[in-house]
Amino acid sequence: MNPLDTTFEAAPAPSPEELPDSTDQAAPRLTPARLRVLSLLAFVGLWWLLAHSGKIPPLFLPGPEAVLAKLGVLATVGFMDATLWQHLGASLARILLGLALAVLIGIPLGVLMGRVDVARALLDPLVEAWRPVPPLAYLPLIVIWFGIGELSKVILITLQILAAVLIATAHGVRHVSPERLRAAESLGASRRQLLWHVVLPEALPDIVTGIRIGLGTGWSTLVAAELVAATRGLGFMVQSAAQFLATDVVVLGILVIALVAFALELGLRALQQHLAPWALHKN
Amino acid sequence: MATLATEHVSVSYPGQRLAALADVSLTIGADDLAVAIGPSGCGKTTLLNLLAGFIRPNRGRVLFDGQPVTAPGADRAVVFQHGALLPWLNVRDNVAFGLRLQGVERVARRARADEVLELVDLPQAAGRAIWQLSGGQKQRVGIARALASQSRVLLMDEPFGALDAFTREQMQELLLKVWAQSRRSVFLITHDIDEALFLATRLYLMSPGPGRIVEEVQPGFSQRYRAGESARAIKSDPRFIALREHLLDTLFRLRRQEEAA
Repeated sequence: MNPLDTTFEAAPAPSPEELPDSTDQAAPRLTPARLRVLSLLAFVGLWWLLAHSGKIPPLFLPGPEAVLAKLGVLATVGFMDATLWQHLGASLARILLGLALAVLIGIPLGVLMGRVDVARALLDPLVEAWRPVPPLAYLPLIVIWFGIGELSKVILITLQILAAVLIATAHGVRHVSPERLRAAESLGASRRQLLWHVVLPEALPDIVTGIRIGLGTGWSTLVAAELVAATRGLGFMVQSAAQFLATDVVVLGILVIALVAFALELGLRALQQHLAPWALHKN
Repeated sequence: MATLATEHVSVSYPGQRLAALADVSLTIGADDLAVAIGPSGCGKTTLLNLLAGFIRPNRGRVLFDGQPVTAPGADRAVVFQHGALLPWLNVRDNVAFGLRLQGVERVARRARADEVLELVDLPQAAGRAIWQLSGGQKQRVGIARALASQSRVLLMDEPFGALDAFTREQMQELLLKVWAQSRRSVFLITHDIDEALFLATRLYLMSPGPGRIVEEVQPGFSQRYRAGESARAIKSDPRFIALREHLLDTLFRLRRQEEAA
């Protein structure tokens, strides 16, 4: 087998900052990767110092080790009738369901907007008018219509992710190279084949970018919605912990929310590189 | 015998005073390597788009084997200046793309792709990604893609225009080899007079305002190359140089007349 055959699938070469530093082992240099770790450690150190300075009562700022200890309790015993995992699971289930619905509706509609001028002219003003409205502004209306149950939260998330997916898909589809379309046509492609073999693959990096942006904003919207009305979920956990002045649970909840957002972003970046490695090489 | 022809075709674009093409008739025979050359605005790209079926004439007809051309089709494959390859497929799958559209099964189309990659001197790159290729290699893949399908005519839109001078010479010789071995007719547009003279069995000199054919020549240098003469020897032949100067002279004379008018 040609050894070059594998290069297309292979992960992109690590950036210089990730390469092991072999030049000088005695005095470690401050590479960007090390600076990042240092920055996080400094933050935790400062937190620890403040918490143990005796000036701030633990009710306002529990120390890092107290929060970590609380993690054990939350993971096993739980808080408000559910363990941390059940709260996390409830939030993740909502956002994944919202994502699935948004992708199912957003990609076909985005393709339609990108390919059909009439569809674009009809839908564009609606999408552009609705997109900048903060979701929490129309949450009350959704609650009036659909109640305070799961449905309204899923609808809110779906709408939020849908906006990003729709706009990104339409943009990607509209900017497909006319030369590639003509090349495929001159090789005998039907309209359907153009869509499957040229338009969708070329728009894929844009679509994934739309999903990334949608998940990011969707996650913050979800947590905010859970603060308002829910019986389970990370936002609910933080909100009710605050009412009982369980500051350690509040801090832990915020950390978990941040970690999930970070993991979603990393996961989607990895997915983007896996699905569309060519998009990293502009030509 | 495949012949591609235009009969008195004219094309005007909305909002433009002069026609992009006015009353152009030409015939590309089965063994022809026809080249259209001219300065920008002479309508050569419009002519290629007509032959491909991407656009339709306002007047006149485009005929392929006597049948009117109304849409793009797999019998007329286009090779673009920047390749227009599909970067999500590797080299082999790009070459096999036309066959995939026709529903040819995987094993057969890959075998055919490897065969054609051999012909364009690129067999070692079959598994490579498009972004790993040089400009000349991309053009080879574009040519191979057009050859792998059942196309009978290759329409080449300034295929070597973006390449450096050295690669361009190599690609011209490669094209002559491929043209001879694959038995397709070729229609190529370029703005490089040496390239046009070296490649063409039929050369159409075009001029703008309105776009039209002003002279048709049958240089015959590509036949000499096929008979074994070297490319450099041909391009430095006094007859080659004389013909080049004659064509340039014609273009400059037309431009002066146009400016005087």
